[in-house]
Amino acid sequence: MTSTAPHTPHDPPPGTSAEPAAVALTDVHKTYGTTRAVDGVSLTVGRGEFFGLLGPNGAGKTTLVEIMEGQRRADSGTVTVLGESPWPRNTALLPRLGVQTQSSAFFVRLTAREHLVTMAALYRCDAAAAERALASVGLTEQGATRVDDLSGGQRQRLAIASALVHDPELIFLDEPTAALDPQARRSLWQVLRDLKGAGRTIVYTTHHLDEAEALCDRVAIMVDGKVAALDSPGRLIAASSPTTRLLVPADRLTADRARAIPGVDRVTEEGGSIVLETLASGQVLAAVDEIAGLQGVQTRTASLEDVYLALTGTGTPQP
Amino acid sequence: MSAYTALSQAGYRAYTRDRTTLFFTFAFPLIFLVVFGLIFHGQTVEESGKPYINYIAPGVLSWGVGNAAVFGVGFVLMQWRRDDILRLIRMTPTPVSAVLASRYVLALAIGAVQAVLFVAVALLPSFGLQLDGRWPLALPVLVLGITAFLALGVIVGSYAKTPEAVAAVANCLMIPMAFLSGSFFPLDAMPQWMQSLSRVLPLRYLNDGVSGALTGGGTLTDIGVACAVLAGFALVLGAVALKTFRWSDKT
Repeated sequence: MTSTAPHTPHDPPPGTSAEPAAVALTDVHKTYGTTRAVDGVSLTVGRGEFFGLLGPNGAGKTTLVEIMEGQRRADSGTVTVLGESPWPRNTALLPRLGVQTQSSAFFVRLTAREHLVTMAALYRCDAAAAERALASVGLTEQGATRVDDLSGGQRQRLAIASALVHDPELIFLDEPTAALDPQARRSLWQVLRDLKGAGRTIVYTTHHLDEAEALCDRVAIMVDGKVAALDSPGRLIAASSPTTRLLVPADRLTADRARAIPGVDRVTEEGGSIVLETLASGQVLAAVDEIAGLQGVQTRTASLEDVYLALTGTGTPQP
Repeated sequence: MSAYTALSQAGYRAYTRDRTTLFFTFAFPLIFLVVFGLIFHGQTVEESGKPYINYIAPGVLSWGVGNAAVFGVGFVLMQWRRDDILRLIRMTPTPVSAVLASRYVLALAIGAVQAVLFVAVALLPSFGLQLDGRWPLALPVLVLGITAFLALGVIVGSYAKTPEAVAAVANCLMIPMAFLSGSFFPLDAMPQWMQSLSRVLPLRYLNDGVSGALTGGGTLTDIGVACAVLAGFALVLGAVALKTFRWSDKT
């Protein structure tokens, strides 16, 4: 799988221009006791890029992001964010970064609007900026609600608004859709796409592989503190298993007949369907059409999830 | 709006919207005043011939103001760190000084309201405190005292990781200190060693200063000494507080 090997910092990421990269990491290490949380990570995030960071729990994603944000110091390696060093606390750099913290991090007993006005003031922005941020995540109507009385999804959106209030160049989002219902999730996708459209750079940590596939220009998959793969979702998928799975309703085709079709590598039965795995999908589809007709037949190719599972070797994605 | 103004406003709102804490911050010293006032009603201290209320009122007021400063900032800092609010502030260009200054102005305001309310009750005939003409000198004493105890609270809040720890550490400091500094019982009626020991405690000087200003005991120099020592405590504890302040429990 050579094409998914970790990039060296010399690989040009998309969107590179004359200005320094949004994030440039070279051989970054961070150890806690005997645990190597981050073990030699090198990567570059270009300006305007939507960059996904995936990996199982404990893979070192959070530590890596916190190092980029300047909340933790790398043990070794170089870290450059928008051309500057984020550590020690760099108050010139901070207004250019937007960081979504946990959903519990709100000023106590304030309303959503008061919280955002406070956040805006901390970034030396006016109340109008707070109102814009509130509207951008669809919380204008909840502006007068106390933060403690917001629902899980509303709190999550308020946390995102807190990261956007000062119009930052580089935005770090951590599982931003975790507590959202499908509608809210899609509307947030739109907010994020608009941000990217406005030229913002986004570093996105997520467990939702469909989301990474839909939104990210490139993703890095971390395993045990190392970058196991780094490329666009499309290229990662193309480079992984080329097998196509055909699902045929079980009442129309028997397993034995399926096995007899030339080009079928493997046949299994799954929940009312006969599943045919093949490298020659066109040929097999034509044969299935002749035997059973194509109505109700589904075709599945590899997804980012398959790539992820193959790399992380976990069988099922961790919640 | 500056970061300092925004944080002060957020702190003020959080404070005034928490009715229970608000009530007890002001009621707590008054309860002690009532209890001690009833116990020692009409009695005088044998060693000095002064009425008990002259000791108890300034003593309980000093303790109440100091206690509120330590607990207030201690709880808030612990909570803000635990709930990632400090991390949130840390990711903005806001300096530590704005965070601490906003807590300082709140502590001063709380102390001022506490003092006015407390003295007003103590002046009631049933308690019988009589204000001396130099009572305004209590203001600088209280300001310096609140500064010193706020710094102590910052240190407590920086080390403690749970509300239980804040309460345990702050109580452990403030309750013995109240007895050893003569807040609840007149130092004049205590053994000599205890009077000597009290000289290393900031509350002793807050008591002395407030007592000297409100009841006219001692000389103006005594109040000056109290102020100077409290300023010294504020400076040293403030330096330690700045040194130990942590944005987060992470390394």
